[in-house]
Amino acid sequence: MDRRTFLKIAGVSGLSFAASCTSQPEKTLYSLVQAPDDMVTGKATWYASTCRECPAGCGVLAKNREGRTIKVEGNPLHPINRGRLCMRGQAALQGIYNPDRIKTPLLKEAGKWRPVTYAEAEAIMQAKAEAAVRNGKGRVRMLTEVVGESLLNLASQSLENWDSKGPVIFEPFGYEALKEANSQVFGLDGLPSYKMDEADFLISFGADFLETWLSPVEYARKFKDMHGLRGQNKSLYFHVSPYQSLTGANADFWFSCNPDSEHFIALGLLREGIRHGNGRFLPEKVLTAIDTVSSPYTREKVSELSSLPPELFEKLYIHLQLARKPLILGTSTSATGANNLQTNIAVNLLNLVFDPDLELIDFSNRHRVETADRRSTVLEFFTELKSGAANLLLLNNVNPAFALPPGSGVREALERDSLFVVSFSSFMDETTELADLILPVCLPLEAWDEYGGKAGIVSTLQPTMGSLTGAPNIGDVLLRAAFGPQRPVKNFQAYLFAQLTLRDAIRGKRDWLQTLQKGGLFQSRKQEGGLQVALADTFQSTITTPPTPKENHLVFFAVPSIRFFDGRGANRPWLCEVPDTLTQVAWQTPVLMHPETLAARGLKQGDIVQIESRWGQLQMPVYETVGVHSKAAVVAIGQGHSAYGRYASGRGLNPIGLLSPELEPNSGGPFFAAGPIALKKTGRSIKLAHTDGSRDQHGRKIALSVQLKDLAHPEHHEGHGLGMWEFPLVLPLPEAYDRKTRDIYPPHQHEDYRWAMVVDMDKCIGCGACSVACYAENNVGVAGEARIIEGREMAWLQIQRYEDPKQREKITFLPMLCQHCCNAPCESVCPVYAPHHSKEGLNNQIYNRCIGTRFCSQDCPYKVRRFNWFVWQWPKPLNLQLNPDVTVRTKGVMEKCSFCIQRIKDAHNNAKNEGRKILDGEIQPACLQTCPTGAFTFGSLMDKESKVRKKVEDQRAYQVMGYLNTKPAVIYLKKVVQDI
Amino acid sequence: MSESPQLTYGEIDRTVLDTLRPPTGGYWLVIMVLILGVLLGAACWVYQIFVGIGAGGQNIPVAWGTYLINFVFWVGIANSGTLISAILYLFRAGWRNPIARAAETMTVFAVSIAGLFPFIHLGRIWIVYYMLPYPNQRYLWPNFQSPLVFDVVAISTYLTVSSLFWYTGLIPDLAAVRDKATGVRKKIFTILSLGWTGKHEQWRHYTRGYLFFAALATPLVVSVHSVVSWDFALSVVPGWHSTIFAPYFVAGAIHSGLAMVLTLMIPLRKIFRYERILTMKILEAVAKTIIFTGLIVGYAYAVEYFLAWYSHNAVEMEAFRWRALGDYSLEFWIMVGCNSLVPLLFFFKRIRTSIPWLLGISILINVGMWYERFVIIVGSVAHGFIPHAWGLYRPSAIEFGIMLGAFSLFLLFFLLFLKHLPSISMTEMKETLDHGGDHGD
Repeated sequence: MDRRTFLKIAGVSGLSFAASCTSQPEKTLYSLVQAPDDMVTGKATWYASTCRECPAGCGVLAKNREGRTIKVEGNPLHPINRGRLCMRGQAALQGIYNPDRIKTPLLKEAGKWRPVTYAEAEAIMQAKAEAAVRNGKGRVRMLTEVVGESLLNLASQSLENWDSKGPVIFEPFGYEALKEANSQVFGLDGLPSYKMDEADFLISFGADFLETWLSPVEYARKFKDMHGLRGQNKSLYFHVSPYQSLTGANADFWFSCNPDSEHFIALGLLREGIRHGNGRFLPEKVLTAIDTVSSPYTREKVSELSSLPPELFEKLYIHLQLARKPLILGTSTSATGANNLQTNIAVNLLNLVFDPDLELIDFSNRHRVETADRRSTVLEFFTELKSGAANLLLLNNVNPAFALPPGSGVREALERDSLFVVSFSSFMDETTELADLILPVCLPLEAWDEYGGKAGIVSTLQPTMGSLTGAPNIGDVLLRAAFGPQRPVKNFQAYLFAQLTLRDAIRGKRDWLQTLQKGGLFQSRKQEGGLQVALADTFQSTITTPPTPKENHLVFFAVPSIRFFDGRGANRPWLCEVPDTLTQVAWQTPVLMHPETLAARGLKQGDIVQIESRWGQLQMPVYETVGVHSKAAVVAIGQGHSAYGRYASGRGLNPIGLLSPELEPNSGGPFFAAGPIALKKTGRSIKLAHTDGSRDQHGRKIALSVQLKDLAHPEHHEGHGLGMWEFPLVLPLPEAYDRKTRDIYPPHQHEDYRWAMVVDMDKCIGCGACSVACYAENNVGVAGEARIIEGREMAWLQIQRYEDPKQREKITFLPMLCQHCCNAPCESVCPVYAPHHSKEGLNNQIYNRCIGTRFCSQDCPYKVRRFNWFVWQWPKPLNLQLNPDVTVRTKGVMEKCSFCIQRIKDAHNNAKNEGRKILDGEIQPACLQTCPTGAFTFGSLMDKESKVRKKVEDQRAYQVMGYLNTKPAVIYLKKVVQDI
Repeated sequence: MSESPQLTYGEIDRTVLDTLRPPTGGYWLVIMVLILGVLLGAACWVYQIFVGIGAGGQNIPVAWGTYLINFVFWVGIANSGTLISAILYLFRAGWRNPIARAAETMTVFAVSIAGLFPFIHLGRIWIVYYMLPYPNQRYLWPNFQSPLVFDVVAISTYLTVSSLFWYTGLIPDLAAVRDKATGVRKKIFTILSLGWTGKHEQWRHYTRGYLFFAALATPLVVSVHSVVSWDFALSVVPGWHSTIFAPYFVAGAIHSGLAMVLTLMIPLRKIFRYERILTMKILEAVAKTIIFTGLIVGYAYAVEYFLAWYSHNAVEMEAFRWRALGDYSLEFWIMVGCNSLVPLLFFFKRIRTSIPWLLGISILINVGMWYERFVIIVGSVAHGFIPHAWGLYRPSAIEFGIMLGAFSLFLLFFLLFLKHLPSISMTEMKETLDHGGDHGD
């Protein structure tokens, strides 16, 4: 071999070796063949739309980069959510990019699915409709979720065109007890909204308004407007329920009562109220009726029935009596038991007695979910279908086969041969599996539509990106199928325009465009007081049951989940991955039981127990918590799908199988409780996928709280911080360095800015929206159930939950993220300078530099660093959601919260272009942006006028484990608690 | 030494050189098994490189697992070789001579094995050179503040010096082998012995050089494990952040090293019929030293508890309470029992002169010292500052595979050494005879 040949071979083999050893996955970037004129690569376009992940109808802004929607954020103009979103809203993206999304229509032939084109599918549907019409009247039926007025009108018109009745609106959570109570007390069959922010005292009889109830983002904000600290004051909030829930964990006191006994307490309060002269301005007839129904409920009786000690009942009453503007809320989203209607009636009466003008109840701006049909209508609908009353059934985004108990007859109805079922769903869920034709329509973020979450609001939807699958809009499908070529309008977009014009909401094209840009019309056209509430006294007959104590048995509750709502969120990997904040369990569905209940049965956490009710049985792992009454067993609804894609199918358990398919006789609503139940040990146990190591702070200065009354006498930060009990606030600034006592090294000098964050724990409700927003913004990997059990979750921001060891039901939430310390222990130990202190005080992690010694994580006192144990997977097309401004980390690299450095850089660029400094509040990290209660503040500490700098001066300010002298830039404000 | 006067130069040469005769089939069988073990370990490592560090059992908070436990374990083993060959040489402890060669060899191999583990541990082994201070266009240097960079320097220095020291000591013996060898072996040993003829001048230079080398190597005995201890002591982690760590680690290292010497020498003595060279007296001397190191280690354990209590720091106190009573209490009590209590049995002469007892206890100490590293490395971070972040760790099958591979590699090296190089220093044994026996006697 001559020298040249050798060099050639060496060169080629060296190159191929180098090329094959890349640690990076494929990096092909496909650019648009013809980019739109206004598209600038690297610059995001924001489209206003409306979130349709639950019926609340929050406004969203979708961030579109190079043709793909990569993030959704709340629309700041929108009156419902004012720029905030919950975790389900954040995860809407994983609907459009879900790897299990159906990409083409499917026709069932001999039990197998055959892909067909959209045109073929529409033709089949149209033919079936025409055939059905030939069979007679009312042969086409439709079941839909709650939709906007325009789409509802179109659906009704289409069905009318097919000689059929209008659609039945099905929502698993229909608030029927509340609606019925409103109709019996106020004479209004609807769901008014509540001006919680104007109240000075709040009682909830189970309403989980921070999680799923009516409009959680809106009520979370209003709740903190009322319950957050203002100066030296803070209102009280009491939660009365057998199940604490996240909402109850935010209460000043949780009054745990027997299952199905909330109404006794409410009636007892009512009795005390009118005995003390409240409600004397009410009409005589109503007052007498109230007196009649409440008179048997003396304090003693209430205590006996509800197991609530008399002194606690007394306290509850005294605070109610003392309040100037009390507001009382009814039962939970999944109204739990047989006495819901009574509870809600009593709650309505309480509001009436303590606030005769009902100032805090807004009867005009009612929640749109009130349009949902009663469960009885839905069940009747399926009975009719079962008897062969229709030939064509259209299903719009409903999953009754999952959401209704097994005996409801859904399966039998849909499997009838004479019925052709068309599902418009994009996912193969339990109901869609039973369909004959799947005609996937585009998802809300890709669609033209309109949905006002509350009356008086027009909130528009527009496509925020090009279609991934080519799926049509459901409106267009209906227009074409029902009206054919003679349709009154060209397409659904035009239909919307016509509808809104008809409603006098918009005038002309220009108005329409402006509305779209803003995301809707938010000046409520209907004025308050436009609706006269007619007081009714029909409730008297409802509350006639004599006050008899319940038998002493265990009752099972199925409660809605903040993560999955009614189950529709279960296929979004982020929602599965982010643990439930109360249990800190991800991916799994445990049954929550009281330690006493478990001890009596020889069970412990993680054991698998068989729960048997009259209607079914389930084997599920046990989770021990004092947050449930000892006579209750609680399971969250949402998981346990038998279909619905890889993230949902076969994961967790569905508690609905234990529930009765019959209706609760009083309210006519469904049961979400079952009792009595039997528990059987199986002898097996599993490891729960929980992310917490301990529920207790072990007396450390981590999640601190302060009594409201102590705020007047501030504790001075004393000492140099050399011992654990000295606790000075040491800001991460040069002036805070004290080289005489605690510092050896010279301070870091910062250039222009020193970024810092203040977390107000008094505002944090532990909803976890921040955590999901962080996953979305920062391309954080989803590890999965098995990896979480191994301790390898990747969350950059965790909501840590600490129980008070003396009163375990007292819970403090602590959002924990990288503290961006000034004296960062991680920085000094890295051999290659991968953690690097920036000129602006950030603790940057240089991924390219990291060789994976993991020393930084070992040395981090806060344990906020996350390691890429594997190459995390984003099954296609989930990868299209990845934020192009943030590196996707490869295996073997450490990562952590960056304070959303991409947003900081973006602000730098804008400021530089405009020749100014970055404004205070200009940078919004993703967590801060979405927080429904505004618990986060971000800014520069170098700016003496900045909001963070101001907040740091709050006497509640402290740093977690401050005595370590790491000088964290995340400064917490103590939670303010009050003893009652 | 009652038997040693009967030893002659010729007998020493014969006994030692006899061990280099062509081995039996059994030897090759063992070698094959060990090679398989090494291949298994290598396969596990390759798998881990492709899949990611997640192939192991580490997590957050316990981001360091058996790889660093084994690293510290092997560095510890390596520590005693130089102690025996250098420090005891300077102290003229004659009983060291028969075991010095094997102990030094053990050191060189153990430190090589130890050096592998930081590589295995790395998340991105393919850019390990970032840790080296090489000139580059980015003007980026390693962070000399980082204890891991100290490690790089300490371990590589130790490996270099101990290898050279070992080789220096071997030269006269290599010449002795050369003199008796034929064929290819003769050629190889001629090169290896660097022209040693045994002239007076050569001996003069050699003995001086060896002495200076011993003096130079001595600080390394202390430095290498002190530096390793700083990986822990320079952090803020409760259970690590302690001033006692350097002496504590050095004592522990010597403890484990001496135990490993016994574990290796006892079978060697039996197989190679070294009874007359490796007398019971010598084994006893090692056992007595083990009592001493065991007491230091036990003292260190006690001091850690005292400091935790004295600090009045809730985090520190909880860390040590949990160590003894928490999830890893079994590991903790194995550590205390094997390292501090079991060696006390050597106070009984009957036990420290009984071969089965010596072997059994030395193995137990090795186990105990492995668990000591487990308790320190895993047990401290598992239960750190933030209770919410507490977590447990269990090694995975891949980690066990790599650990098996490492032990196989060590034994493989050692067995190859036994059959190819004189496992007892003939030179030093002859010196011992010359000086009229052991200095200690």
